[in-house]
Amino acid sequence: MSALTVTDLRKSFGGLRVTKGVNLNVAPGERRLIIGPNGAGKTTLFNLITGELTPDAGSIELFGTNITRVPSRRRPHMGMARTYQIITLFPQDTIIHNVSLALLGLTPMRWNPLTDMRRQSRLTEQAHAALARVGLGHIAERPLSQTSYGERRRVEIAMALAQNPKLLLLDEPFAGLSIDERRDVQQLLLAIPRDVTIVMIEHNMDVALEFAERITLLHFGEVIVEGNRAEVVADPRTREVYLGH
Amino acid sequence: MTPLRLIALAIAALALATLPYWMSGIYYVNVASQILFFAVFALGLNVLAGYGGLVSLGHAALFGISAYATGYILQAGFGHTVAIIGALVVGVAAMALYAVLSLRSTGIGFIMITLALGEILWGLAYRWISVTNGDNGINLHGRPAPFGIELTTATAFYYTTLVVFALAVVMVAIFVRSPLGAALKGTRDQPRRMNALGYHVWAIRFWACLFSGLLTSLSGILFVYYTQFISPQTLALTSSAEVLLMVISGGAGTLLGPIVGAGLVVIVKSVVSGFLERWNFLLGAIFVAIVILMPEGLVPGTARLWRLAWRRARGGGAPS
Repeated sequence: MSALTVTDLRKSFGGLRVTKGVNLNVAPGERRLIIGPNGAGKTTLFNLITGELTPDAGSIELFGTNITRVPSRRRPHMGMARTYQIITLFPQDTIIHNVSLALLGLTPMRWNPLTDMRRQSRLTEQAHAALARVGLGHIAERPLSQTSYGERRRVEIAMALAQNPKLLLLDEPFAGLSIDERRDVQQLLLAIPRDVTIVMIEHNMDVALEFAERITLLHFGEVIVEGNRAEVVADPRTREVYLGH
Repeated sequence: MTPLRLIALAIAALALATLPYWMSGIYYVNVASQILFFAVFALGLNVLAGYGGLVSLGHAALFGISAYATGYILQAGFGHTVAIIGALVVGVAAMALYAVLSLRSTGIGFIMITLALGEILWGLAYRWISVTNGDNGINLHGRPAPFGIELTTATAFYYTTLVVFALAVVMVAIFVRSPLGAALKGTRDQPRRMNALGYHVWAIRFWACLFSGLLTSLSGILFVYYTQFISPQTLALTSSAEVLLMVISGGAGTLLGPIVGAGLVVIVKSVVSGFLERWNFLLGAIFVAIVILMPEGLVPGTARLWRLAWRRARGGGAPS
C-alpha cells in the first residue's frame, strides 16, 4: 500500500490549467522531492493534497483511504501535516504556545472552554519534547516575535512533527535560510524516523538532492520526469526546464 | 498574577463593592450601574471583535432582542424568572441565526452582513408597530426581587448589576485562557493555519458567537430592567457603533479594555453631557486622540507607556 497516491489530479483557475492530470505514488517511509520552475504548480499540488484546494478531477489516497472529498481540517486527524512556503505562525504568542496549538488541534480538548490551557501539564510536556526535537527547547518561552527566521522555520517543523504525522508535506523548508541554518534544518529532517513519509518541495538542490530518494519534476502542471536522483539529474528534460545547464 | 496586579484588582473590587457608600447621589450610583451593564455588553462584543477578529456592527440588535423578549414575556403574564431565562434563550437563538448568516464571510464582509442584519431588526422594531408598538416602545412594570430583595432602589439594582458584571468578567477570563479561547485567537490570527492544524474554524467562531450572544443578552436584560422601557432606538446602528467604540477605545482583545471603554463612553454620555451640550464632539475628539496616541486602546496603550517610563527610570529594565 502506498503512503500517498495521486491519480489524474486536475485543477484549473478559470481558463488557466495549473494541474494537468498529475499522478504520484509515494511509498511508505519514502523521501520524495518535488521540483520544478516557478509556476510549475508545486504548491498548488500541495494545496490539493491537503485539501485547501478542491480538485476538478482525479483522486487522492492516503494509506489506501480515499481522501479526495475529506475536508482539509480532517486530514491532520488522518495523519497528514504540512509546513508552508511563507511561514504561517502566531507571532503574538510564545514558541511553546505555537506548538501547543498544533498538539491541541488533534485532541477533543480543543473544544474545552473551561480549563486553563497553561495548566495542561501533559500538553506542555509534549510541546517541550517537540521543541527539544528541533533544538529549540531552551527558548520555548520566548515570544515568537523575538526569534530569527531560521528558528521560525524550525518552529514550523516542530508544529508539524508534534502532530505525529504519517505523511509530512514540507513546502520549501530551506527557503530564506543562511548556510548554518540550512545545515541545522537538514540535520533535523534527516533525523526524522522512517515511519514518517516525507514529500518536499525545494529549490535548493544542494541540500534537497542529498535528502531525496526519488524526485518528481513538475512543469506547467504536469509530471515530466520522475525517478531516482541519478535518473532525474541525467534526464535532458530536467536540464532543459529546470537545471538550465 | 503579579503582586502589583493583585493589589490593583483588590482595590478595584473594594471600590466597586463599596461604591454606593462613598458615591454621593443616587444619580451617580445609577451611572455606575449603566457602566457595569454596558461593560458586560462590551465584553460580549469583545469576544468576537477582540478575540475572534470578527467586528460586528449589528450587536445592538441582539441586545435589543433580549430586551424586547423580556418585555413581551412579562406582558404575557409570566414571572421575572421565566422572562429572564426566556430572554436569554431568545437572545442566544437570535445570535445563532445571526452567526449562521454572517459567518459566511469574514473581515469587511462580516461587518456588512452584521450591519445589514442589525438594520433589518431595527427596521422591524420601528415599523412593525402592531408587534413592537413602534417608536412608543414597550414599558415594563416592576423589577424582579431575587431572594426577596427588591431591586427598586438604585443601590439594590447596582449590586445586582455588579454580581452579573463580576460573573461576566470571570466567564470571559476563564474562556480566554481555555483551549477554546486559544483556538479562537488562533482563528483570528491565522485561520488557514488553524484549519491545517485540524481545527474547525467555522465551528469555533460559531461557539464564540453564542458566548458573545449570551453576554449581550445578559446586558440587554439588565438594560431593560434598568430603564423599564425598550424602543427601536436601542437597536439602532448608533448603539452598535457606541459599544464598538467602547471595545476599541478601551483595547480590543483585552479583558480590562472594554470595561474601561464602557466607563469612558457612559461617563461622557451621561455625566459630561450635563455640562457640555456638544458631548458627541468631545467623545469623537477623545476617540480620535486614542486612535492617534494609543491605537491599541487605552488599557494596552497605558501599559505600553508605563513599561516605557519604567524602563527609562530604571535605565533599561522592564517591570514584571
